[in-house]
Amino acid sequence: MKLLEVNSVTKTFGSLVAVDNASMFIEQNEIVGLIGPNGSGKSTLLHTICGRTFATAGTIQLQGADITNKTPQIRAKAGMAIKFQLARIYLEKTVRENLLISLQAKQSILSQLRSASLKKHEVKILELAKEFQLEEYLNEPAKSLSHGQQQWLEIAMAMAVDPILLLLDEPTAGMSPKERADTAVLIKKASKKCGVLIVEHDLDFIKELCNRISVLHHGNIVATGTPAQIENDPKVKEVYLTRV
Amino acid sequence: MCWGQTGIFTFGQAALFGLGGYVVALVTTKSSITDMGILLLIAIVAGALAGFIIGIFLFSGKRVGELYVALVTLAISYICERLANSWTVLGSGNGIPGIPYPTIFGHELGSAMSLFFLAFIAFAIALILCILIVNSQFGLTMNAVRDDEERAEFFGYNRSVVQIFVFVFSAALASSAGALFAVSEGFVSPSMSGLALSTTSVLWVVLGGRGTFFGPLIALTVLQVVNIKMQNALPSLWPILVGFLLLLTMIFLPKGLTSLPARIRESRRKASQG
Repeated sequence: MKLLEVNSVTKTFGSLVAVDNASMFIEQNEIVGLIGPNGSGKSTLLHTICGRTFATAGTIQLQGADITNKTPQIRAKAGMAIKFQLARIYLEKTVRENLLISLQAKQSILSQLRSASLKKHEVKILELAKEFQLEEYLNEPAKSLSHGQQQWLEIAMAMAVDPILLLLDEPTAGMSPKERADTAVLIKKASKKCGVLIVEHDLDFIKELCNRISVLHHGNIVATGTPAQIENDPKVKEVYLTRV
Repeated sequence: MCWGQTGIFTFGQAALFGLGGYVVALVTTKSSITDMGILLLIAIVAGALAGFIIGIFLFSGKRVGELYVALVTLAISYICERLANSWTVLGSGNGIPGIPYPTIFGHELGSAMSLFFLAFIAFAIALILCILIVNSQFGLTMNAVRDDEERAEFFGYNRSVVQIFVFVFSAALASSAGALFAVSEGFVSPSMSGLALSTTSVLWVVLGGRGTFFGPLIALTVLQVVNIKMQNALPSLWPILVGFLLLLTMIFLPKGLTSLPARIRESRRKASQG
C-alpha cells in the first residue's frame, strides 16, 4: 500500500484549470519532489493534498483511506503535517510555546485544562529544539528568530507530532547556503520517520535530496522519475529548466 | 476569555447576562425557590445552553470572520431586548419586579453588604477559574485559535469545538452574573440584555486591554466612577468624550490603556539606546 496516492486530481477555479488530471504517489520513507515553474499548479496540488482546498475531481488516499474531502484537521489526525511557504508560526509566542501548540493539538480539552501532559511534552520539546538548533531560543519569542530559524521551527512543529507524511512548501525559500544545507540534512533525517513531499522550484536543491521528482506544467504532471532522469528529460528541459 | 484569549469578538454578552437575570426573576417570582446555589445553577445551565446553541450556529462548519460574529451577536442582543420589551411573560417594558432576597443554607441575604459579599465571592471564583484556564495548556490552544485559526486546524485542533467551548463558558459566566444582578437589584428590565450594555462591556475590554483580566476591571471601575460625576457635569458632551477616548485607544493603544506603562518603558529604553 502506498503512503499517499493522488489519483487523477483536477482542481478548477471557474473556467481556470489549475491542476489537470494529476496523479502521483509517495512510498513510506521516500522523499518526493514536486517542481514546476511559477503558475504551474504545484501549490494548488499541494493545497488539495493538505486539505486547504478540495479537488474538483479525482481522489487522494492516505495509507489507503480516502481523504479527498476531509478537513485539514482530520488529515492532521490521520498523520499529515505541513510547513507552509511563508512560515506560519505563532510569532508572539515563545519557541517552547510554539512547539507545545503543535504537540498538544490532538489532546482533549479536559486533558489540556488539567495540563496533564506538560512534563511529557517538555521532553519532546527539548529533543526537537536540539535537533533543529533552537535550544538557546526556547524562551525567546518566535518573532526574534531569523528567517531560516523560523522555517526550522515550523518544520520542527510539523515533526513534533510524528507524522506519517510531511508536506514542505518551499522549505528553503530565503535561506542562506549554509541554512539550506542544514535544512537538507534535517529533511533527510525526517524521511527516516515519514514520507516527505517537497514543493520547490529549485531543482538543484531537491535533486540531491529526492528519490523521485514529478514535474508539473500548466497543471499537468509532464514527467516523473529519478533526479537524473528528470535532469535529462527533454520535455522537462523544454517546459521547465529553460524558464528558470 | 472570548475576545482577548480566543478572538471571538462578541456583542452578545448582555443578552446572556439578561437571560440569567430573567430566568432567576421568573423562577423566584413563580416558585418558592430562593436558594442562591440553585438559582446560580439554573442560570449557569440556561446560559450554557443558550451559548451552546448560538455557538453551534456561529462556529460549526466553515470559519467565519470576527465581523460576522460581532454582527450576529449584536443582532441577538437587539432581538433579546425587543423580546423582553414586548413579551408580557417577561413583564414587557416594565420588566419583572419583586425578586425576593436570595438565601444560602436557609439564611436570607437581606442586606446590601451581604449581597455585595455574595457578588464579590462569585467574582473571585470566576476570576480564579479564568486565570487557571488561561494558564493551563488550554490557554495556549485558545491563543493558537485566536492568532491563526486555519494554522491551528492544520495541527489537528478542532477549531469549532474550542470556540464553542469558550463561548459556552463565557455564556455561563455572563448568565450567572445576570442572576447575581437580579437578586441584588430585586428587579430586571429589558435594558439589561440590550445593545447599550453589550457595547459598554466591549468598551471596558477595549479601554482596559484585551487579553488581560485586570485591565477591563480597572477600565470598568474608573469609567463607572467618572461616569457618575461627568454625567452631571457634562451630560451631553460626556458620551462624545468617551467615544473619542475609545477611538484614540483603538488607534494608538490597541492593547488598551493598561499597556501604556509598558509602551512608555519601551520608548524610554529605545531612547536610551540611541
